[in-house]
Amino acid sequence: MRVAVLIAIKDLRQRFRDRSAVLIAVVAPLGLALIFSSLLGNAATFHATYVVADLDGGELATVLRQDVIGSLQTAGVADITDVRTEADARAAVDAGGTTAAFVIPAGFTRSIQAGQPVTVDIIGAQGSDLGTEIARSLAQRFGDGVVAVQLSLATVADLAGRPLDPADQSRIASVASAATPPVALVDVQAGLRQLTMATYFSASMAILFLFFSAQTGLVSLFDERRQGTLGRILAGPVRPSTILLGKILGGFATSVIAMTILVLATSALIGADWGAPVGVAALILSAIVASIGISSLVVSFTRTAEAAGAASSAVAITLGVLGGTFTPTSQAPQLLSVLTLATPHGWFLRGLGDMHGIGATAADALPSVGVLLAMGLVTGAIGMLRARRLVTPR
Amino acid sequence: MSEEDPAPAAAETPAAPETSAAAETSAATGAAVVPDAPVVLAARDLRKRYGAIEAVQGVSFEIREGETYGLLGPNGAGKTTTISMVCGLLTRDGGEVTLDGAPIDVGAVAAKAGIGYVPQELAIYPDLTARENLEFFGRLYGLGGARLKSRVVEVLALIGLTERANDRTSKYSGGMQRRLNIGIGLLHGPRLLLLDEPTVGVDPQSRNAILESIAALGRHGMAILYTTHYMEEAERLCDRIGIIDGGLIRAEGTQRELVGMMGRQDQVRLTVTGNVAGAVAAVSALDGVASAAAKDGELEILVEDASGVLPRLLDTVERAGAIIRGVDVFQPDLEAVFLHLTGRALRDSAE
Repeated sequence: MRVAVLIAIKDLRQRFRDRSAVLIAVVAPLGLALIFSSLLGNAATFHATYVVADLDGGELATVLRQDVIGSLQTAGVADITDVRTEADARAAVDAGGTTAAFVIPAGFTRSIQAGQPVTVDIIGAQGSDLGTEIARSLAQRFGDGVVAVQLSLATVADLAGRPLDPADQSRIASVASAATPPVALVDVQAGLRQLTMATYFSASMAILFLFFSAQTGLVSLFDERRQGTLGRILAGPVRPSTILLGKILGGFATSVIAMTILVLATSALIGADWGAPVGVAALILSAIVASIGISSLVVSFTRTAEAAGAASSAVAITLGVLGGTFTPTSQAPQLLSVLTLATPHGWFLRGLGDMHGIGATAADALPSVGVLLAMGLVTGAIGMLRARRLVTPR
Repeated sequence: MSEEDPAPAAAETPAAPETSAAAETSAATGAAVVPDAPVVLAARDLRKRYGAIEAVQGVSFEIREGETYGLLGPNGAGKTTTISMVCGLLTRDGGEVTLDGAPIDVGAVAAKAGIGYVPQELAIYPDLTARENLEFFGRLYGLGGARLKSRVVEVLALIGLTERANDRTSKYSGGMQRRLNIGIGLLHGPRLLLLDEPTVGVDPQSRNAILESIAALGRHGMAILYTTHYMEEAERLCDRIGIIDGGLIRAEGTQRELVGMMGRQDQVRLTVTGNVAGAVAAVSALDGVASAAAKDGELEILVEDASGVLPRLLDTVERAGAIIRGVDVFQPDLEAVFLHLTGRALRDSAE
């Protein structure tokens, strides 16, 4: 381990004397984060405008309007405006500026109390898929609650062997509504956990360029071979596996330093809100493991520094694009949202987003941390096995 | 012993071995060569094949404490392959290497601590200073603390880089880089120093300084394996020389012994123009001519007795269509030995 640390320290010293390495590890991601966040401002921050046409005006319609739909306004992610008719609602959507409209039909409350099916119409604006989907989900969630109450009423009536009178219905409905659900889904809407523009671009540029920093460890083996120093080290009292470990440690240390600088600089310069420090640290460390693992695997298939650099860069860019480092996945097509899950970039950004939900904590990043670590350890193990040939005397 | 705690190899420049009555003074280094000094390096029947080419075909030699052993041969003779197998950089197809009796191969991590390796090509970090280069490799070999600092100071002085110790080596001249390349190899005071053509591409002044440094190391008791294709370096530095060609050691011994193998032969060098190839062919057929080779307008000819054969030699060359510009007659040297053994001029093969 002592020798591996020696090699890592030496690599670190070389790396930070290399202006191009510093440029790639720190200056470029920081600069791009600054540019993107200043150019795009808050354009990508989710905020919706909904209109509600309550044609019922009954007790349950009011609950839907005030408590359920109104919660979006309380959370600061939507503005809610009431209109009188369905036509007004459609007109508001067609006129633009409105994300979607909720139309609560007349007889809504009565139908529910009678155990009859009801429909809440969601009128989505063209191109507002995410906002419409949120509206639909809210209505669905309310509907699920209604079904639970109706089921309670039906069950009691069946047990009693007679129809319930209105007083009993009201009492039982109140009890059923107040019951704590056995499974609580909190903040299931991805759109509600959006990062601010500054945070998103800071994080996405950091993870994108992290791959360039991470690859330098193993790629430098080719440089060492070219300048003869690898042979010199191998001629000494050093195991080949120790050299590989030293290179990995060097890449890890370089990445940790670069990411730390980026987090601090983007927080100070553009107000990026990375989230709970413990969670951020865990995410960053696991992302570094993933990036080093994947880079090692890629580099292990190459034979020259040039080929290694080119292949690693191509993979980094591809994963970056798929992983949503240029476009938030909440605004991306469905297919891209799925492909994102195959990239460490996507899981890193997802993990950060998970820590920014309402009431979220650092622990909410743990699933992403786990996936990133798994990605890194699996690819890294294969990469290391293959990379042994780079340091094995022939 | 693990690599984490390598042997504090004879970190100091080794003390000169005690001489005995039987000791013989090396004409090359001035060192006291003790015939019964312990064998430091033993290489036996080393073999290495690259595809269809057998680069090394059973090379064997020993180097004793305080001895400088030269492998003299042209490029492609198998010198670097041999030295790479000796230091465990290259796997062997056959044979064995021991350092002080301990086997050396690619996995002999602890034993490698006793070897200093100076590769033919520069092997230094251009973006580090000379001091940083030395400190890194010193720590790699287990040096640390005050011991490392003092050794770095000593080696910097030895290689004449004290004044430039804190400059990045990318700013050094080729000669300075070469000297550092050597300094790294001897920093930890190895039992055995392997020098693979360390003066290739070095200006004459630096080359002289390098050779003086190496000679000093030999005088202080270090066992040295020195490969070169420069005859004069082998003559100047080496106590014993193995002449290697085609992956085989053709002959081995002191310079005196090697030259003595040729009997009463003389070496004639003719500077000629015109039909040089025709002259070589004609001369080779003469009675009393052992071998002849041409390079750059010069004929290297080994003859049994220069005084007897010279008139016929000159006449034959002129009849073959060559014009003689100069004539030199020498006592045989290693160049002549190589010619005698291989039928080719060493310089011809080396270039």
